[in-house]
Amino acid sequence: MDRLKSVFDEFVSRHGIGVALFISLTVLVWVLVLIALPQVAMLDYSFRHNLSPQDIGGPQDVYTLSNYGFFLFRDGSGTNTLDMGVLGKTILASVLVTIIDVIVCYPIAFILAHSATGVAARLMILGLIVPFWVNEILRAFAFRVIFGATGLINGVGMSLGFWDVPIDFIRANVALYSGLTYTYILLMVFPIYNAVEALDRNQIEAAQDMGASWWRVHWRIVLPVAKPGIASGATMVFMLTAGALAAPQILGGPSNLWFTQLVYQWFSDAGNWQRGSAYAAILLVTCLGFVLLMMKVFKVNIGAIGR
Amino acid sequence: MSASTLRGQTFSVGYSLLFFGFLFGPLIIMTITAFNSSSFPRISPWECFTTEWFGVLVNDRRLMGGLVNSIIIGAGVVALSVPVGLAGALALAEIGPKLRSALYTVLITPILIPGVVLGISTIVFWGHIGRQLGFGYDSVFFNGMFLTIAGQVTFISAYAMLIFSARLQRFDPTLTEAALDLGATPGQAFRKIMLPFLRPAILSAAFLTLLASFENYNTTVFTILAQSTFTTALASKVRYGIDPSLSALAVIIIAVTLIGAMIQEAHTRRREAIVTGRASRSRLYGNPIGRFVAHPATIGLLLIALAAVAIWRGSLHDATVCKQEVIDEKRANQQRFLEEQQKRMKQNAPAPQPAQPGAPQGTKNPSPFGGAFGNVAPQSPDAAPPGPPPAQNPSPFGGAFQGLSPPKQ
Repeated sequence: MDRLKSVFDEFVSRHGIGVALFISLTVLVWVLVLIALPQVAMLDYSFRHNLSPQDIGGPQDVYTLSNYGFFLFRDGSGTNTLDMGVLGKTILASVLVTIIDVIVCYPIAFILAHSATGVAARLMILGLIVPFWVNEILRAFAFRVIFGATGLINGVGMSLGFWDVPIDFIRANVALYSGLTYTYILLMVFPIYNAVEALDRNQIEAAQDMGASWWRVHWRIVLPVAKPGIASGATMVFMLTAGALAAPQILGGPSNLWFTQLVYQWFSDAGNWQRGSAYAAILLVTCLGFVLLMMKVFKVNIGAIGR
Repeated sequence: MSASTLRGQTFSVGYSLLFFGFLFGPLIIMTITAFNSSSFPRISPWECFTTEWFGVLVNDRRLMGGLVNSIIIGAGVVALSVPVGLAGALALAEIGPKLRSALYTVLITPILIPGVVLGISTIVFWGHIGRQLGFGYDSVFFNGMFLTIAGQVTFISAYAMLIFSARLQRFDPTLTEAALDLGATPGQAFRKIMLPFLRPAILSAAFLTLLASFENYNTTVFTILAQSTFTTALASKVRYGIDPSLSALAVIIIAVTLIGAMIQEAHTRRREAIVTGRASRSRLYGNPIGRFVAHPATIGLLLIALAAVAIWRGSLHDATVCKQEVIDEKRANQQRFLEEQQKRMKQNAPAPQPAQPGAPQGTKNPSPFGGAFGNVAPQSPDAAPPGPPPAQNPSPFGGAFQGLSPPKQ
């Protein structure tokens, strides 16, 4: 408390009482009312029964573990392998998308930082940003146009005689993974670019002069510098992919659910907000836990995110 | 230049081309499909050049209603999240390192939390408050617009904060100190030194937050409740049946984006030339005509005029003749197919329910001729109900050939 008081006094002496009040109150409201309390409320909600409005606050309104129990056991009849499978698959697929994004974006970030100059570099940055001003839904839609049963790839492939029956890219999730990879490219390129840009070009040249092969230069010199950027980008891409809802709804196969779709179903189709909250909490905890674990494994800290 | 750097450069250029091909390919394909009269967005087979999908788009009530909601929400989100983000960035810039990393972690988490979770927590929280205070379901706590603004501000503020933080890192605190030494009050120093310094960041934060608000889906789809925004209306349209009017929308967005980007580019170049003093020496900025032509306002007006001409020309374009030809061609094909069928049926003895090779799956086929085939008794195509415009026909051949089923939505 004393620390906060001294921080506030510092603000007052620097910017005046008005600005100091503005800063502290706004940050307080943001942290408490917008970030923390809603999460608490959701967590609280997830431990309650799905009651009709008049029963709320009544004798039946007690805490329960049944919503989480449902995720594990599905009404006591054996383990709920279906939902747990969906969660596991969502995490695995998100990891896959993240890895693809790292592989795709690392070279372009390096080229952007160290090979491209002047107009080319400006054009490249513009070219990176422009596609992301197009709505996410429309980007997913574009992939449907390309991968659909009567889409471009099937049309071209069949008219050239490579295959005669339309390949169901949607069911095979090819469309989904490509769409997700595409959607979050920007979030991967810029953190890596920011990190790699700081690298002194002389280091690369020195290594080359001493006879290092290109992959050795990257492995020993560029990658260590790029690591915080990769960690930052990977965290964002992973979290956003695991939390994606639009792309799986539009591009996902009919039998292949994303975990967010389960959450959505509990809310919209089943009208069971409590269980939906429980599933959302499960998603949040699993994703955050996974990210923290990976940060431990790769020895990065959360301060690097978003930089 | 040694062989290895040459190889490196070839790789760089090749990879960049591939990468940007992947980035722009989908957009280009989508753009082309907006002008094909085929009712499923596709490039091949090409039917007719048409601009009718833009009309379909503009007449989409739900989408346009959502657009109004989106604009209101966007304005609210910009008005709130820019100051909130600014406050966050200022707080981060001036507190001790230990407290800073803790606060940073807290403020950055809304970006990382899945949007679905944010949306749910927002409606649950405000619903709870509303009930505690005894408000009914028609109060603000159960209003989709309010909830959407609250939910979006939570994480969009963090985007604004990142922009302000990046700008603040380059701020020289001695400027404020100098102002204070010269007798300015702290408030004056903030208004006259800090805010002008942050002005470009405020503009880009406003733009980015508006964009983020406009395109957000994951959070909004929960918080908007029974209403709809542009993006949620768009998503349900894409999920339950797609047609090229969506491509038309993409064309509009891409065009607006490109125009904006070009004006921005002209603006930066001009600014750069003036700041570095190159302006007076350069051929372009040195003479009045060049200066006028290269001014961002001129370029902007020119591009907008160009777009207006394109819209005007496009609205005059009439594809009915071409579409009629396509329909006629389809009918001819259909006719030929029927005759073959009849011949085969005559040869194939009196099987009561002859199998129809290549016939579409009857009822599920929206093709105007699907009905004609469900009926085994051959009839002339003229007897079939007058074919609806190809707008409802997913395939130029009415699905008669190759047993093409209609696109599954």
